Amino acid sequence: MLRVARQLFRFRGLLGTLTARELKARYRGSVLGFLWSLANPLLLLAVYSFVFGVLFKPARSQGIGDGPYALFIVSGLFPWVWLSTSTLEGSMSLIANSGLIRKAVFPAEVLPMVVVLSNLVHLLLAMPVVLAAMLATWLLTHSVGGAAVVMLPLVILLQLPMIAGLALGASALTVHFKDVRDLLGNLFTLLFFLTPILYSIDFFTGQSRMMLLMAWVVRLNPFTPFTRAYQDVLFFGRAPEPLLWAQMALVSLVFWAIGAWLFDRLRETLVEAA
Amino acid sequence: MTESTPETPAEAIRVEGLEKLYRRTMPGDRLRTLKSALLEGSLTGNLRREEAITALAGIDFTVARGEAFGVIGGNGSGKSTLLKLIAGMLKPSAGRITVSGRVAAMIELGAGFHPEISGRENVFINGAVLGLPKREIERRYDEIVEFSGLGEFMEEPVKNYSSGMYVRLGFAVAIHTDPDVLLVDEVLAVGDEAFAHRCVRRIEEFLAAGRTLLLVSHSLDLVSGLCDRVLWLDEGRQRLVASPRRAIDAYRQAVAEQEAEEHQAAKEQREAAPAGGPGSESGEELRWGSREAEITSIRLLNAAGAEHYHLECGEAACFEIRVRAAAPLTDFVFGVAIATPRGTEVWGTNTDLEGYVPASFSGEATIRVTCPALRLAPGEYTVDVAVHARDGAPYDYRRRALTLTVTARHGGVGVYFPEHAWDFAGEVRWADEET
Repeated sequence: MLRVARQLFRFRGLLGTLTARELKARYRGSVLGFLWSLANPLLLLAVYSFVFGVLFKPARSQGIGDGPYALFIVSGLFPWVWLSTSTLEGSMSLIANSGLIRKAVFPAEVLPMVVVLSNLVHLLLAMPVVLAAMLATWLLTHSVGGAAVVMLPLVILLQLPMIAGLALGASALTVHFKDVRDLLGNLFTLLFFLTPILYSIDFFTGQSRMMLLMAWVVRLNPFTPFTRAYQDVLFFGRAPEPLLWAQMALVSLVFWAIGAWLFDRLRETLVEAA
Repeated sequence: MTESTPETPAEAIRVEGLEKLYRRTMPGDRLRTLKSALLEGSLTGNLRREEAITALAGIDFTVARGEAFGVIGGNGSGKSTLLKLIAGMLKPSAGRITVSGRVAAMIELGAGFHPEISGRENVFINGAVLGLPKREIERRYDEIVEFSGLGEFMEEPVKNYSSGMYVRLGFAVAIHTDPDVLLVDEVLAVGDEAFAHRCVRRIEEFLAAGRTLLLVSHSLDLVSGLCDRVLWLDEGRQRLVASPRRAIDAYRQAVAEQEAEEHQAAKEQREAAPAGGPGSESGEELRWGSREAEITSIRLLNAAGAEHYHLECGEAACFEIRVRAAAPLTDFVFGVAIATPRGTEVWGTNTDLEGYVPASFSGEATIRVTCPALRLAPGEYTVDVAVHARDGAPYDYRRRALTLTVTARHGGVGVYFPEHAWDFAGEVRWADEET
């Protein structure tokens, strides 16, 4: 685990250069450039706002308060896109660069990490748009946001090891087992709905056994604390509770540890199998 | 394990009891592969013998600091695997590898290039992969560009580069990272002559600066020109570590022996084919004639009288032909001719040309033509034999009845290698040649 961290630190220059390259290569020759990375989350946002904010309005409002539903979704959705895209793209990063791993001495852990970081840049580039919308709404109605937004970088930093662990582990496993990618794709679709992004964690104030069960599943979902923290600092404008911080730190540590361990364990086999 | 220990001055590379197994790819084996990888950190840890391919076994050698060490051997002999193990890309299945100092490996030049971005940016990325900080690359950038000769193309995306340009830039970056140990896998064969010479010169400078080189190559001339010692790998085994001349001689000898066996097998196959049948795979006719006399066997014998299809240049050689006459003949000529595989006649003679006047021949006869010193240049040759009438009407003409391989300690161009000597009068000096 520490070896992976050491390697990443040692090759931080390379990591930076490659991330810049990744972003540049992605937007080279495209007219709208970075706007494309906004297009997909915005489209998702429009669809979900319509479906759950207009069509099924009564069912979801529990626990969200007075703020606009679209902004509530944004708070959880954009970080989710960072997480899921990093993991899915990251899982293919070693296979896609097998030439590099097989034919050159290359620090392989850099590759999934580049995916995580370039997607983080996309998130950060989208943030001004989100923050502007929050600010506008705050100025108009005072129903969203607040000073707690300054904690946003902390939440992102805390989630970074978790996403890195996911991408590292997934990338190494995918080399041996191409099914991992499809497995992850479907798992993330499922988890998206088990994470309180479209609804609040307080939605399940139910009496029925089903509601209680769902409440537990959602609470146990490791992505839930982060989503709640993002919603706290962005949408509700309040500092996350200490317990939430503790949960995030623990989850992040565990995911990093597992991912890095997997990667380290499989490292020697990557050159042969990639 | 590859370990870097900065302070072991004498040895740059030490390889002890090295063994490397690869896992045979078996269908439906993915889960077990993963399990083995996860539980043991290796793909081959729990394999039964038949599931593994031994790429290398019993490899032991050391390379002194400042030494140029060559690795030769046929395809699949494990050369590239050895290089990747020393580079730390692969993990040994058994044994130890210790490398001291910073290592740069040229396995496939430009493998790390990203096609969409410019040569300039790729230099920085490649340099970073090789462990050079950005400042250092900036400092050496001009040198790198100058060496590669790609000045005006540096802002172009490398996908527009030719493969030669790719290699030139790759070599330029790798050599300018200034490693202590440089591992080179057959990369000098790419690129044009001028660039290849420049690379060799640069490597010589590198060696003169006391750095260490491990060179894997099929170019035996390059190996003997650059290396101090040479390892000959044969199907994953260490056959010999010796001076370039000894190792290369031994390797060439082994290749020639193998070819000689192939020549013999091919000859036996030809003889087993139905006599008088139409020619070879190419459809070319290889045997014709009236069969009033028939050639029943042809052999090449060495000085000891043993059948052998590999000759050292200048060795004695005897062509032995057995002929049977269907009925007694009074008009007959025996002939032998040597040609290159492409059909250039090298030498041919017959009894008629050399003044033997036929009187009578009946039953069976064995004819031997012996050259006390056959001085053919190194290469492959084919032999035609014939028995015919004095006016040329063939009784039995056999084209390419034999093939043979000739080797020599010193190369030479052409087909003929006369005995010769050099003499230098005046102020001409030669560096002491090792023998």
